[in-house]
Order: sequence, then structure tokens, then C-alpha cells
Amino acid sequence: MTDSPQSPSLASSASPALESLLDEARSLRWEVGTSFHEELIEAIYTDAARIADRAVRRPDRKPRFDIDRSIDRLLTSRLWGFPAMFLLFTLIFWITISGSNIPSGWLSYVLVDRLTPLLRSAADALSFPWWLRGFLVDGMYLATAWVVSVMLPPMAIFFPLFTLLEDFGYLPRVAFNLDRLFRKAGAHGKQALSMMMGYGCNAAGVVSTRIIDSPRERLIAIITNNFSLCNGRWPTQILIASLFIGSLVPAYIAGVVSALAVVGVVMLGVFLTFAVSWFLSRTVLRGEVSTFSLELPPYRPPRILQTIYTSLIDRTLIVLWRAVVFALPAGAVIWLISNIPIGGTSIAGHLVGILDPVGLLIGLNGVILLAYIVAIPANEIVIPTILMFTVLITGAQGVGAGAGVMFETDSETTLRSIFQSGGWTVLTAVNLMLFSLVHNPCSTTIYTIYKETGSWRWTAVATLLPVGMGVALTFFVTQVWRLAAGF
Amino acid sequence: MPDPLVALLVGGGVLLCGILCIWPRGGILGLRRRLRRLSTRVLVEDALKHIADLEIKNQNASAQTVAGVLQISDGRTARLLADMEQRSLVSFHEGRLRLTSKGREYALHIIRTHRLYERYLADVTGLSHSEWHRRAEAIEHRLSPRETEALSLRLGHPTHDPHGDPIPTAAGEIGPQQGQPLTSLPVDQPARIVHLEDEPETSYAQLIAESLWPGMEVWVLERDPQRIRFLAGGEEHVLAPSLADSITVEPIAEEQARGPRCEPRLSSLKPGQKGIVCGLSLACRGNERRRLLDLGFVPSTPIQVEMVSPAGDPTAYLVRGTLIALRREQADLIHVRPAPETAEQTAAAAGTGDGTGPEASGAR
Amino acid sequence: MNPEPAAAHTPSAEACESCALFRASQLKKLGVILEDWDHVIALAGNPNVGKSTVFNSLTGLRQHTGNWPGKTVTRAEGGFEYGGSRYKIVDLPGTYSLLSTSVDEEVARDFILFGQPDVTVVVADASRLERNLNLVLQILEITDRVVLCLNLMDEARRRGLELDARRLARDLGVPVVPAAARQREGIPELLAAISDVAEGRAICRPHRLRTESPVLSRAVTGLEEKVRAALPDLPNPRWVALRLLDGDERIAEALRSGELARLGSASASRAAASSAPGEMPEDGRETTREEGSA
Ligand SMILES: Nc1nc2c(ncn2[C@@H]2O[C@H](COP(=O)(O)OP(=O)(O)OP(=O)(O)O)[C@@H](O)[C@H]2O)c(=O)[nH]1
Ligand SMILES: [Mg+2]
Repeated sequence: MTDSPQSPSLASSASPALESLLDEARSLRWEVGTSFHEELIEAIYTDAARIADRAVRRPDRKPRFDIDRSIDRLLTSRLWGFPAMFLLFTLIFWITISGSNIPSGWLSYVLVDRLTPLLRSAADALSFPWWLRGFLVDGMYLATAWVVSVMLPPMAIFFPLFTLLEDFGYLPRVAFNLDRLFRKAGAHGKQALSMMMGYGCNAAGVVSTRIIDSPRERLIAIITNNFSLCNGRWPTQILIASLFIGSLVPAYIAGVVSALAVVGVVMLGVFLTFAVSWFLSRTVLRGEVSTFSLELPPYRPPRILQTIYTSLIDRTLIVLWRAVVFALPAGAVIWLISNIPIGGTSIAGHLVGILDPVGLLIGLNGVILLAYIVAIPANEIVIPTILMFTVLITGAQGVGAGAGVMFETDSETTLRSIFQSGGWTVLTAVNLMLFSLVHNPCSTTIYTIYKETGSWRWTAVATLLPVGMGVALTFFVTQVWRLAAGF
Repeated sequence: MPDPLVALLVGGGVLLCGILCIWPRGGILGLRRRLRRLSTRVLVEDALKHIADLEIKNQNASAQTVAGVLQISDGRTARLLADMEQRSLVSFHEGRLRLTSKGREYALHIIRTHRLYERYLADVTGLSHSEWHRRAEAIEHRLSPRETEALSLRLGHPTHDPHGDPIPTAAGEIGPQQGQPLTSLPVDQPARIVHLEDEPETSYAQLIAESLWPGMEVWVLERDPQRIRFLAGGEEHVLAPSLADSITVEPIAEEQARGPRCEPRLSSLKPGQKGIVCGLSLACRGNERRRLLDLGFVPSTPIQVEMVSPAGDPTAYLVRGTLIALRREQADLIHVRPAPETAEQTAAAAGTGDGTGPEASGAR
Repeated sequence: MNPEPAAAHTPSAEACESCALFRASQLKKLGVILEDWDHVIALAGNPNVGKSTVFNSLTGLRQHTGNWPGKTVTRAEGGFEYGGSRYKIVDLPGTYSLLSTSVDEEVARDFILFGQPDVTVVVADASRLERNLNLVLQILEITDRVVLCLNLMDEARRRGLELDARRLARDLGVPVVPAAARQREGIPELLAAISDVAEGRAICRPHRLRTESPVLSRAVTGLEEKVRAALPDLPNPRWVALRLLDGDERIAEALRSGELARLGSASASRAAASSAPGEMPEDGRETTREEGSA
């Protein structure tokens, strides 16, 4: 990267007049000495100070109380800095998880339970052929309805909360607190900022690494950005955590425990970020840590209503729109491959059969792997796809209106029973959460990585490294679990 | 479903193999790097460089020293030198190894490229000094004379590398290394560091850890056979004479010297303390220097230490009304002097507080 | 809203409240619709001073904002219509100076230098004026057509700072508009200032740096003459000389490749096309308006 001096153009087509001008400049540079730049900046600052002095009148009284410093004293204190960080993020997840249950239920009641039969009968009334009805209603519409009902509530709570934190000015403090760790891993403290942008969307996170001025550390930040759960993966985590982990404990602490499970996965992501950064900076991206400077802005009281409004309109709806755009064709594809039989079994059935042995070895199953392949364009549709395939394979009746049809998910119990009929255990859930954290980035992110690095090699590393790690991680977790469980 | 124990063992084995392959040393990656280094051309060029280096210092190279520097066997060295003699790059003169004029030209090109590239890394990129040598070692074998010329042009034909070594000119001339070792400097004679020997790496690292830098002023305070005590960059240093020998200094006139002024570094201030920036250290170059200047660390700027990260490292400083966090290494590069405590400055530095009525000026 | 919009350039003849309202009604936010525009506006400034907030209130778009430096890292474009002209406005990443060290700053710098904006609006943090003036003064070296937007006035007030925008305008030689973009305060005045500069109604006489040391100024002046001789159309030969002396490779490269020469001729033809502003007033650096416009 920095290795080539970008061979300055000797053979440029500059006119002789220009060349002599440049030569002159070069020899003058010798004369004025190396401190030219410094003298210039000093001159600018002197001027600036003079002008500012004339234009600004400062208060005569000394300020009695500096609220910014008091907040900083708490949020970056030796004792409270890290616990405060942990508590803040746990609080956000807890509010998201416990707050999104109820609206999720409503939405699926309206969109799935009520509207689907209506649409089906409407299609019948218009005398659609069965395959067209299945394709449109049971495939495309249901996939979309499901995505909306499972994604909208958590996003609508999570994004505004996160944006409030961002507008308040907390994010640079996180970078400030974590820089030491990043440095130990051979990375740049501002990677914390791009990491947090990754919590919204990895593609945005990858672009935001532009603020890192050293190319080596920027590359590290790009490759590890995938370990920040993006909005396509939050719903998976939140849903699986509340279905399987939360249900292990009494109901009154279920919310907190599920939140902690999600926080655990996030922390694992942070840990992997450090570990992979460390590994990269000692192997392929060897080098010294470079400089770090970060401006810590003043805290600004966020404008709560406006923030909620804009992040609802912008982030939530845009994310949802993206999910829907991908869910529509995916729903159609899923319906098709589940309903086109080859030799008595559907295409999906064959594929699942092929993937099953690998899936089981890493504690997942063929359905989940197939879903991850279908969902390369968008992580958002992983769970709907898994649900639909599970019903197809197990032929679970009574929960949906037939094989390959997305079904009503009115309550958690039904969902859990579908998963359990697919042979799921707590181990499967844990592995799914892990694999959802550690697998390849979505196609948009891959393309963004290519654009930002300009190299297929690094793009391949950033894509394949997490898949390999994910497979290894789930494999070892599964085998150790089975060994411990004694079967 | 396989037995978990077997699966674990097999999986662990596969993982281990994978890690072994890509481990930096001993792995496939490291192996490739070493193979590249051992290619004959690189060896020839490194040998030439070594011989030229000793010739400049008026010392003699021999097959032993070549083998030692290149870390290859004596047999291989003998073959290498024979090959070089055949290409009339070196000659054996009265049992001594000498460069021919062709060999010298070649060697000076390599040295020129190395030093220019170090200069490029120091001034243009923000890479840390510990990277310069390693990267230059690799690049010196790759640039053609034309590319080296372009590099020199781009840098404005510098005369010295960042360690203070003279850069040979394109015509193959190399300026003499001026100065004397620090150990021979009389007490209380002001001098300026002109060169730091960058080999061996460990002693160079020690000098860097002391934040010594070409261009710095030194005053020897005390000298005895065990140690030498001197002031440099506003700080007191104590070194063993063997290490101090790799510092070359040039005496300067008393009136030119800035005096043995003590300028503490920014990193030595405690939270809550104030200071005034007196300048950036010479070790701070290129982008890093520009960035610090842009952030407002210019001479005579009041500065206050605000808070330290809970992890202990970056520290936030209040500079011109804004909090800027810097790592310790960078704070080391900024020299400050204690600030006179006045009420006005505290007010200016703190900058926040309760409002005093709406802004009324500026309206027509 | 501030009952007395503190715009340095506001003509005293008009009643301020009504004119602010009147102006606001002239603004038509065009979002990203950008077919043909009459003027290109660049939004430059230090990081985290509210550039994107200003951009949003002018275009009606919702460019992401956030309270940390480095939120915007790419260029964003939008449009608005005001006083019968269509404007394309470009939101840029924040930058501390025109010497970039990271990719986002390069984006900003390249647009300011080579994007040929008709007006560069420099957004500055009113409560940290001195630090922000560093960039302002650098930009004033490059181009005459600058409007300084003193944003975050509410914060400056809260800190008890009093800013004399007229004084500042006189010292800098460009229009200065105090604003609090988040509260939409000062936006009408900013629009008026932008259109004045874009249409050539306000003539700027920007502050130029003085170098103290005689060696430096001799070198700068000498080189400036050479630059002027080599590229007569260039609007800012002195600045190019400064950059060359500073060893700025990007500028040397732009000279070699002819990029600067193209810029020079473009700006020359633009100056010819717009009504020539005539003689510049000798005494004051104060911005002037031609009578009867607006
Ligand atoms: N109090 C107050 N806050 C403001 C004002 N204008 C902007 N802000 C806040 O300042 C912060 C930064 O605003 P942005 O518009 O993102 O700043 P920017 O200059 O685009 O920042 P970069 O893109 O990082 O360079 C946000 O939290 C805004 O809400 C204002 O007039 N008053
Ligand atoms: Mg912005």
C-alpha cells in the first residue's frame, strides 16, 4: 500500500515553463528551510487569534460549573468508564427487546393472521390459478409481512436510542475509552467509531473507516467491520435470544437475560474484532501503530422528538425498505424451490439433504445453511427463510397453510414449536446466534469493501475469513458441548 | 453423527495445520519472505552495501563480515564473492575485499535508494520510525536508478536521511560524515546531534526510546567510564558509553545554542495541570506533524490536561477551546513550558458556563 | 428565532423580521433534483460544526448528522431554488486544514480546490472561532467567493460569548452570517448572502495572510510572479506559490497535469461571463453591494 512511492511522473508532459517553475520552487524550498510550513501555520494562527480577539467578547465571570467536564468525569472515569459503557449498551438492548415484543405481536396479527386469509380469498375471487396465488400471496406477500412484523419494532426502538446516544456525543468517548485496547491489537482508536457505524449497517461502517488516516489500520478496520452486528442481524439475535435463552429462566427476568445474551454476542464480536486485528497486524498487515488524534466534541442535548422522527423515517424505514426489496424476490424464490419437485422431492429438499451433514457437524442444520446461502444479498431475510424451509422439511402442519407457505407467527410458542419440530435445541440456537455474528458480509458490504480498498484480494480476505472463523467457531462449540453433555 | 472426541481431535488438527501455515515465522508466509530475501541478487546487493558501508568508515570488509551480515554459511559466502568477483564488482586486493568502481557505483545506488526511501517514509508517510529501515531494506532492491531519481526529485533532493546519514548523489558522490562521537564531547560544550547509527537495531531502538533525534541540541553534564550524563531536548539522559558512541554530534558556538533549557514534554503534565506549547519535537515529522499543527498545537498555545482514558492511555487536552485526545507517544513529541496561572486564562481555557443574555452584537 | 437576525450584510433599509420571512418564502427546497443549476455551492468547514445540518435545512434532504467529527465522509449533493436561481449545493466531510491526511479530508479538499464552486460557504463554530479561522483563512487564500456561516450561535450564547459579526466581516472581507442551523436561525440571511455573492452583488475583498519573515515574503513574492507568468489566468497565483513552497505534491501534480491551467481558464471565462464587478473599493475591506439589487 504505502510501499510504492507512486513513482512521481518524470515523464510528464509538462511544458518547459512549468518545469522551470517547479524547479525554481524546489530550490527556493531549500532556501526557506524546512520550517516553512510551521511558520506558515503559526502565521495563520496568529492572524486568527488577532481577528478572533477583535470579534469575540468573553464573559468576565469565570464559569461556576462546567457540565461537560462533570459528565466526562463520570463517563471516562477509571472506575465508572467501562461499567457505564456496558450498562448503557445493555440498557439499550433491554429496552429494545422488551419493548418490541408487543408491537411485533400486533403487527403479525394484522399483517399475517388477518390480511393473509383476506388476500387468499381475494385471489380466489379473482380466480387466480393456484400457483400464481401461492407465488404472490404465500411467497412474496408473506415473506414481506413477516420481515415487517419481525424487523420494524426492534429497529424502530433501537435506532432512535442509538441516534440519541450519537447526538449526545457519547460515541467519541467510547473511542477514547477503548483506544488503548485497539492500540494493543495494532489498530486505530477510531476503529471504535467505524465499528459503531457498523452496528447500523456494515457497508456504512466500511465507508466510515475513511476517517482513519493510516492505510494499514484502515484496512484492518474494514476487514473487521463485519464483526459488528448490523441491522439485518439484530432481529435474528433478538428473536433467538428471547425464544431460546429467555425461556430458560423464569419469566420475570427473561427480558434481562435475553438482553444479556445479545450483549454477550456483541461482546464476542468486539473481542473477535480485537483478536482479528491483532492477528492481521502481526501477519499480513504487519506494521507499527501510527498516530491517533481525536476531537472530543462537547455534549449536546439531543432533540428527542426530532431524533425519533428522523431516525424512524430515515433509518428504520429505509432499512425496512431494503429488507422488503430483498424479501419480495426471496419469498418468490423460496416458494418456487420449495414447490418444484424433482423426483418426488422439491429442489429445496434436495439442497437441504446435501447441506444437512455439514450443518449438523457445526451444530446447525441444512435448512439454516441453505437460508444463509439464499440470504447472501440481505441478512434480514435469514429468519423468514429458515422458518419457511423448516415447515417444508418437517411438514409441520397446523402452523401454516401448507408446505412452503410462510405461516402465522402470532405467538412465541408457535414459533418455538416450529423450531423444535425442526429438531432445534438450545445448542442450535446458540450456534445460530454465533454464526449470525461470524459469517460472510452481505453482498452490498462486499461490493463496498471492493470499492473502498480497490483490491479483490482484500475483498476476498474480508469475505472468506469470517466464514472460515464462523464454521470453526460453531464446530468447536458443538463438539465441546456434545462432549460435555455426554453423547 | 461422529463421536465428538474424534471430531474435536480432527478439527483441532486441521486448525493447527492452518495456523502453522500462516504463522509469520516458520509458516508458509514467512518462508516465502525469507526465500525472496535469499535470492542471489538481493544477497549481492546486500554484500555490496555492507562493503561500501565499511569503506566509507575506513574499515575493511572480509568474507567473515559478509557472512555475518548476510547470515549465510561460509561456503555460500565464498561462492557469492567469487561470483561477484567474476562480474567485476569486487576485487581481492592483498587479501582484502575491495569494491571495484563498478561495484562502488552499484553499491551507492543501493545506499542512495535506501536512504532516500527512508527519507520519503519519514517525511511523507506517517509511518513510525521503527518501520523505515525494514521497508527501505525491501524497496532498495526494487527501484531502478530512474525511479530513485524521481523519488529524489519529489523529495526536493534531500542531502541527509532521517538518521542524519548523507545520501549519495546521483553522480555517486557521498558527502563525508561530519562530527565526532558524543563520548568525546567536552563537558559544557553545546553541540547538535548530526547522526544516529541505525545498526544494530537494538541499540537504535534504545536511542529512539530515549527520544534522541538528529538536530537536537546536547550538553554533556558529566562523564565517567561507566556512563555519560547529558541534556538533550530539554531532558536529562544517562547512557552507557558504548551506546553513546553511536551518537555523532557537531559542536556549535555558544551563542547559537538555545541553552540547556529544560522543556518538559506534554506527557509529563498531570491532569488539571496547564502549560504553554513551545514546539514540536524534531522526531515528529510528515503527516503527524502537520496534523498536530492543524489541531492547534502551535507554539505559545495554552494547553491544559483534562482527563485520562479509563484504560490509561489516550489523554484529552484542552487546546483552543476543544478537547483533543492524543496517545502518549504523540504527547511525548510536544514540548511545553509551565503556564503562568492567571484568572483570565482559566476563563478562556474552560470556555463553558452559564449564559449571560442573548447575543446582541452584529445586528443592524 | 432571534428577533434581530444578526447578519452583517443585511441592508438596513428593510425591516428585518419581514425580510427574513419574505426570504424564507423564496426558498424552494429541491432535494436531489438537480437538472440544470445556475450556481454550485460548496459547504466546507471543520468537522462537527453543523455543515450537514445547514445542508439539510437548505435542501430539505436528510443527510445524516451526528455529534462527532467524521460523521460525513463522502460528498452529498442537493439542490434549492432561491430568488429565481437554481443552486446545487455540495455537503463535504469536515477538514481541519487543506492539507489532507485521510481519505475523507481528501474528498473535501479536492472539491474545494478543483470542484470550482461558485460560492464556498465555510461553516464555523462560533464558540471556537479562533480554531475555526485556521481553515477559513486558508480558504480565503484560494478563493474570493466565500460566505462565512457562524453556526452554533446558541452554544456561543450559552457560554456567554458575544460575537461581533460585522467586525468579523470587515476583518475577513467576506459576508459573515451568524446562525444556529439546528433551530433554523439565520438560514434566511445565509441564503441572501449566498445569492449576493453568487450573483456578484456582493464583492468580497478577502483577508490575505501576511508573512512576517523577509526571507519568506521575498521567496513567496518571487515565486508568485513566476506562477503569474506561467499561468496568467490563475485567480490565486500567490496561493499556488505558497503551496509549492510548502512542497505540496498535489498542487505540483495539478500544475504538471494541466489541471490548474484548466481551472484558471475556466474561472477566467466565468469572470468574463458574469457582469464584471468593476473597480474594487480602495479603502475598506468591507463587502459592498450594488445599489438597487436584491
Ligand atoms: N446546539 C446546536 N447544535 C447544532 C447546531 N447545528 C448543528 N448542531 C449539532 O451539531 C452536531 C454536528 O452536526 P453535523 O451537521 O453532523 O456536523 P458536520 O459539520 O456535518 O460534521 P462532519 O460531517 O462530521 O464534518 C449535530 O449533533 C447537530 O445536531 C446548532 O446550530 N446548534
Ligand atoms: Mg456532515
